[in-house]
Order: sequence, then C-alpha cells, then structure tokens
Amino acid sequence: MSAPLLELARSRTVLFDGALGTELMARGLPRRTPPEAWNLERPNLVREVHAAYFAAGSDVVSTNSFGGSPIKLAAHGLEHRAYEFNRAAARLAREAAPAGRFVAGSIGPTGKFLKPQGDYTPEEFAAGFAEQARGLADGGADVLIVETQYDLREALAAVQGARSASALPVFVTMTFNALPRGYFTLMGDTVARAAAELERAGAMAVGANCTLNSEQMVGCVRALRAATGLPLIAQANAGQPVVADDGRVSYTQDLDDYVRFVPGIVAAGAGFVGGCCGTDPSYIRAMARLIRKEPL
Amino acid sequence: MNKAELLKGMQEAIVAGDRDAAASLAAEAVRAGLDAAEVVETGYVPGIQRVGALWEQGEYFLPELICSAEAMKSAMAVLEPELRRGRTGPRPGGRIVIGTVEGDIHDIGKNLVASMLQAAGYEVRDLGADVKLERFIEEAEATGARTICLSALLTTTMSNQKRFIELLRDKGLREKYRVLVGGAPASRKWAVEIGADGYAENAVAAVKLVKSLESGGRS
Repeated sequence: MSAPLLELARSRTVLFDGALGTELMARGLPRRTPPEAWNLERPNLVREVHAAYFAAGSDVVSTNSFGGSPIKLAAHGLEHRAYEFNRAAARLAREAAPAGRFVAGSIGPTGKFLKPQGDYTPEEFAAGFAEQARGLADGGADVLIVETQYDLREALAAVQGARSASALPVFVTMTFNALPRGYFTLMGDTVARAAAELERAGAMAVGANCTLNSEQMVGCVRALRAATGLPLIAQANAGQPVVADDGRVSYTQDLDDYVRFVPGIVAAGAGFVGGCCGTDPSYIRAMARLIRKEPL
Repeated sequence: MNKAELLKGMQEAIVAGDRDAAASLAAEAVRAGLDAAEVVETGYVPGIQRVGALWEQGEYFLPELICSAEAMKSAMAVLEPELRRGRTGPRPGGRIVIGTVEGDIHDIGKNLVASMLQAAGYEVRDLGADVKLERFIEEAEATGARTICLSALLTTTMSNQKRFIELLRDKGLREKYRVLVGGAPASRKWAVEIGADGYAENAVAAVKLVKSLESGGRS
C-alpha cells in the first residue's frame, strides 16, 4: 500500500501534534464531559486546537477521538454515539488541515481489560474499535493511529477491528515503562514482541508514546529500531506532571529540556515524531524548527 | 504433606498465581486442623509479599499481579469461615473504603490497589469510579472503616482529593479517618500539601503503606 503520509515519511521526518485534551480543557472543557462530545457541541474549539498545531508546523494531527470507542464511551452512557463522535472528529481535523497536511484518526484504549484480567473478549474489543474506525474513515481520516496501548492484545484487537472496517493504513503506538531490564508495557509486553506481532497483524508504522520523557524515548526508539524495519513513531511526554501550590499543573520537562533530545529520537530511527502529555503547540513549533534544519 | 511443606506450597501457589493450588492447600490446612490465622500469616502473606517484590523489581507485571491476587482471594475464601470462628475476627486486616473521586472514570489502578489490599487480608469496600465525595464518608461511617483511599488519574480531578479532606474537616471527622491518595498525578508532596495521611505510588506500595500506618508509622 502506498499511502501519501508514508511516502512523506520516506523523504523526511514527519511531525505529529502534541497534547489535545489539555488544550480542550484550557478552552473550558467541563470535567464530566468526554472530549469527544465536543466534536458536536463545540466544533469550533476543537478545530481551533487542530489549526494551532498545523500553524505550529504539524504535518499530521490526531483527531479528538482518543476515548471514542463505544466501550470507553459507555462510562458516560454515550456508547451509542461512537460512530457520530468519531466521524465528526475526523471531519473537524480535515477542515482544519491545509492542503498537503494529514489527519490521523486517534483510537485510544478502552480502559477495560480482556479476560482473564477483565470481562471482555478480543472479539468484543475488535467490534468496538471497528465501529470507531468506520466513523473516523467516513469523516475523512488519512490513517488510523491506535495509541497509548498498554496491552499488546488490546492493540492487536484494535488493529484487527480497524482493518476490518476500513482500508486506511493503521499505525500503532504502545506505552512502555523504562525498567532496569528494558522497556515494558504495563502488561509486560516487550518492545521486540510488540513490534513483531503488530507488524504481523498489518500495522504500517509502530512506535511509542506517553509515560516516557523525551530522554527515555531515545533508548526506546533504539530498541524499536532493533526490532522492526517498519517506520517508527515517537511521541514522548514532557516528563511527569507536578501540581503547584495554586493548583496549576506543569510538567517536569520544560520546552528546552524536551526538545534537546528530539535530534536523538530522530537519529535513533523515528520517522514520525510528536508530543504527548505536557506538550502544546509551542513544543511542536520548536520541534518543527529543529526538524527543518536537519539534512534530508 | 507436613506443616512446613504446606506453608511453602502456599507461598509458591501465590507466587505462581495458581488459584486451584492456593485453594486446595487452604482446604488441606483446614482438614489438618491448623490455625487459619497462622496459615495466612506464615503461608500466604509471604507469598504476596514476594509477588510485590517481583513487581517492584520489574520481573512481574500486571497480569501476574492480578493472578496472584486472585489466588490469594481463593485461599481466603476457604479460610474465611475458619477465621470467623477463630479469635481473629472476620479479617486479619481492617476495613477500607476505596474509590476513584467524582469526575474521574479511571479505575484500573484503583481496582489493582483494591485487590491487593483484599489479598493482604483487608475487607475492602470498593465504591467504583466517579464517586461523590460524600459517598466515601457515608460508606466509612456505615461500615466502621477507618481508612479511606482516594484515586484520581487526572490533574483536573486530583483537586477532589484535597476537597475531600476539607469536607472531612468541615464535618469534624478529619481525625477519625486515615486518608490515603494515589493516581498518576498524585505524589508524596501532594499528599503532604493537602494534609492526607499518605501516598502510595502503586498497589504494592499501597499495601505496605496501610500496614505501616497501622503499626503507627506515617508516610
């Protein structure tokens, strides 16, 4: 399959966006409202965030649909609205995208566990993800990105569900913890196993996001590169959240500390880079500057 | 099987997360007339402690932790009637109320803390996620629990942990309860700032924290 976004990644480093939820909160997203509901209730604000990331230099933005699987939305009693939330999510990003830029349909975890730890079967997960993927594809996403996965089995169900519902390329980012013996998901999946099984399942690009700061991400990308020939995605957190006396939240890696490891992440083999928790358009702008300076 | 072998087998069953073995060894201990409380303390608890150590070393992950907690539960289910007959009360540990604070639907970490506490012998009242702050107090008042654990995964909902402590103060109940906080954005520093009695980084640390507070320590 020759997808334009993958073509672009062959010629230069491709820039994703940064955190989305916190940008929506900064625009007044109420605590009890799932962000996905704003795709229909406050479309202008969602589009505004996407536009800010495109203006900062993002080649591709992720849609406001991270929690948009019916299983996740069920926590709000909104499972029956999954399709429309996701279709609207992709449309908004599409509308914000200048010509030649891209939309990645975001698919986050369900927040539930598969048997035996939880109550769900992989088939139930896959069916939910398929519905989400249908909405994202119908709304105009260029690719689907299954992200922040801490359970390889759930990630595989998502790839399967997404591929059953659309022909769009599927990207996957897993969330790894840095442990003394290497990088592991919460469930104990290794980088090597995750990369191999996702590749076999048909993922077109794989990578890591969340939890790791940009310094730790360098090593994780190196481990990914050793494990697979697929294009790699890296979206690090800006360190860990800290809460100030006045209740304001900040992250332990400031902009300068975060971006100084970005060249290392690219050198380690990431073809797609972006931010995760704690990043905003200013981080993406700084990364865009760095990436444009690099030799093609 | 003699007593020493039995106790060793119990520990191994927990470390292996073997539910059937854990339960059948418990039944064997009951048949042999062993003291149920002693069996828990010297057979099963060392097992769950070993599991905790393996988790902290990055050898065990969430599936192993859950399996071991389940094995512990299956053994406790067998021993419970014996413990109730004995002099040690319904549970070796006390009662604990736990839940994720209102506005926050995340429950993975909280569930894990609840099952590890249960595995460690506590009677856990799990109120679920998105729990109104008043509910924690009602449940604790109704059940006689003295420890309340509040989870929050979002930087926007962790302020409810602070509000909860203020609520307890307003009701004049602050001294009656130990309030422990956890969740990704929480920290030891946060716990100190809001006047909580403790913070634990993960489920294993949570069990240690509760135990240490019971023996008079603070964290």
